[in-house]
Amino acid sequence: MNSGTSGFLLAAILLAPLSAPALAQSAQATSTTQSSYSGATADFAGAGQAGEWTSQARDYANTRYSPLDQITPTNVGRLKLAWTFSDGTQYGHEGAPLVVGDTMYLVTPFPNTAYALDLSKPSPSIKWKFEADPSPQSIGKACCDAVIRGWAYADGKLIYNMLDDHTVAVDANTGKQVWRTEMDKVSHGVTMTQSAFVADGKVFVGNSGGEMGVNGWLAALDLGTGKELWRAHAVGPDSDVRIDATFKPFYDWMKGKDLGVKTWPPNAWNTGAGASWGFVSYDEKTKTIFYGTSNPGPRVPVQRPGDNLWTSSMFARDPDTGMAKWGYQFTPHDQWDYDGVNEAVLLDMPIEGKMRQTLVHFDRNTYAYTIDRNTGEVLVAGNFAYQNWSTGFDMKTGRPIVDPAREPKPGVKIDKVCPPDIGQKDWEPPAFSPATGLLYVGVFNICMSLTDHEVSYIAGTPYDGMEMQRFSVDGSDGNWGGLLAWDPAHGKKIWEIPEKFMVMSGVITTASNLVFYGTTDGWFRAVDAWTGKVLWSQKLGSGIIGQPITYMGPDQRQYVAVAAGVGGAAMVQQARDGFLPRGNTLYVFSINGDTITAPNEDTPSAVSPSEASSSPSQQ
Amino acid sequence: MSIIRVAVGAVILVILAVGVTAWWVTTRAQTDARVAVAWPEGVAAAVPQGLSAGEAPPITVSIDNPLANDPNAAEEGKKLFSQMNCAGCHGYDAKGGMGPDLTDIEWRYGGRPIDIFKSIYEGRAQGMPAWGNALPTAPIWQLVAYIQSLGGTFAPSAEGQPQQAVNQGLGAQAGQKQ
Repeated sequence: MNSGTSGFLLAAILLAPLSAPALAQSAQATSTTQSSYSGATADFAGAGQAGEWTSQARDYANTRYSPLDQITPTNVGRLKLAWTFSDGTQYGHEGAPLVVGDTMYLVTPFPNTAYALDLSKPSPSIKWKFEADPSPQSIGKACCDAVIRGWAYADGKLIYNMLDDHTVAVDANTGKQVWRTEMDKVSHGVTMTQSAFVADGKVFVGNSGGEMGVNGWLAALDLGTGKELWRAHAVGPDSDVRIDATFKPFYDWMKGKDLGVKTWPPNAWNTGAGASWGFVSYDEKTKTIFYGTSNPGPRVPVQRPGDNLWTSSMFARDPDTGMAKWGYQFTPHDQWDYDGVNEAVLLDMPIEGKMRQTLVHFDRNTYAYTIDRNTGEVLVAGNFAYQNWSTGFDMKTGRPIVDPAREPKPGVKIDKVCPPDIGQKDWEPPAFSPATGLLYVGVFNICMSLTDHEVSYIAGTPYDGMEMQRFSVDGSDGNWGGLLAWDPAHGKKIWEIPEKFMVMSGVITTASNLVFYGTTDGWFRAVDAWTGKVLWSQKLGSGIIGQPITYMGPDQRQYVAVAAGVGGAAMVQQARDGFLPRGNTLYVFSINGDTITAPNEDTPSAVSPSEASSSPSQQ
Repeated sequence: MSIIRVAVGAVILVILAVGVTAWWVTTRAQTDARVAVAWPEGVAAAVPQGLSAGEAPPITVSIDNPLANDPNAAEEGKKLFSQMNCAGCHGYDAKGGMGPDLTDIEWRYGGRPIDIFKSIYEGRAQGMPAWGNALPTAPIWQLVAYIQSLGGTFAPSAEGQPQQAVNQGLGAQAGQKQ
């Protein structure tokens, strides 16, 4: 060995301890050697082809993870607008477009017009349009904008809920109606904003109306005919709630007969709500569907003493019969409108050394739960954002501990309750990365002042009573939101990108370790899944409350798409500087904005006046 | 045998006919009574049902809130605004939510007292309930008085002046305050 080599070796040995942390940091930045934070894995059953996006959540487990990797952290800086599509409506745009083969399907907010776009042509190119014609009466019954949170594709049909309580199926090739089923009555204050979900040959749909004193339910329809197979209520006797001897809730306080009646004052369950307007997940192996129920009605808790089962809860049910396997109530006797409807992401992960089959649920009450999805046992309950309504969580009983100072009494103003009614996370769904083992969630950072007013039930009017002002946790104009990365096995936040405005968009992850999300003031961003470094941002024409997707076009290019059309709960920010007007445009991006262009022979050429058809001499 | 059957059938038919006629007459009378109370003689026909810019015949009748000189009307209306769940849709501050803002000068269906009365009484296409089915007219005028007190409504048309229907509902520049 010569002196140069030995000198080099000496230097390497001396410097190695210094470079190890540096190596670890750069490993975080590049992702090639870093290992998963949580060890969580997902089953991607229910997804279409790699380049498709065939359901709102991409797969039954609700991972919103795409295997595409043509767009990478290296080239994402070159994302540019490829094409746009304006759908002419004026309400918030919350659904994700679907891509099946060469066709994109989307449904507008009220009036719920469906479009099929031919992606093989210069886009947008409308293949067909279906006008569902819902009743405008439903607009005035929708608490939170005349939105639709998504639509489903299955068996050659586009299936979706209309605001006025119909579920409709449209032939995906022809745009003609196949079936339409009336599910409830607008005169009872019921609307439907939920995304229909298809699994196991059935369409699962639920109602909205937590603020309208409705009777909440989730139903299953036959995929071929639209005929109702079963309906499970969230309130009422066990026969309505579809609970029998096979029901096995994990915690004792949820065991007993007819708790959907007994945990209410007499007959109050009839207007107790528990509407199901969030996403549904499906475990194909155990044949179980998972979904949540809304807040109880009225939104004045002193009028309904009791735990108010089964509101603000989650159910695991048999998709064939609708019978409940287990239930868990996140916020017993909810006093702040903490709906339990947020999605369940189905993940398997090691918890304290033991492999568990879990679901992860970020609740409106600001606890992120990791729950054994076979039994309903809470394994992890950690706060993913700031809250002051509870002082802790009792793991033995599975109940949160309420701070008495935040319990509202009618006519008495409470200055600061966090989170507000809409939670620190509303319905906007997170995404999972199998590489990092993390969930990426759009969140809020807000509080409310609250005064309750006692209310009477008048059918078709709000059964509500909450008077609120919302503001950010750190004053009226601090950061109202953010995007955070969460380790569900340890109940820990890994990093957070603070945002001036609420983040109420869906999130997606890709195999190249990119995370995409949008802010309610119109920023669409691509972020490194390991570090949270923002790699690309583009300001769109309106705030984003929709769900992005990524897909492969017929031109073998990867595209990323999201609708910009602010509305829904994001409107609590409308007085803030920087808030944008409403919009209705789908934005589709690609590297360099490259996309399918018209062939040269289709481009018109200028002609002499005598040749032009508009010339007087031609008439 | 068959004659008795025919006779019984005829009696039943007569009873039914009398019953149906009685029901029809009674409900007509109730509707007429309501209309007579809601609008003075002849006015119902003169008030246009909806906005049809330029097409509605100009009216020369002024319909003020009959409770205009009642100092308690707005206060009673404010209580009703909460009790009847108006606040649930229009906000406890009436600045809107599920339903429109009632404090600004933009009125979809007209912003004069009679227009607001009709919107509450008849209900409207985008989900406003038809309170005429549930409330007598006095509380509805009290609600109108409360809304008038919020400052965004238009004056009743002046006596003898044609009402320009086209100015209504467009956030007209001259938002006339009470």
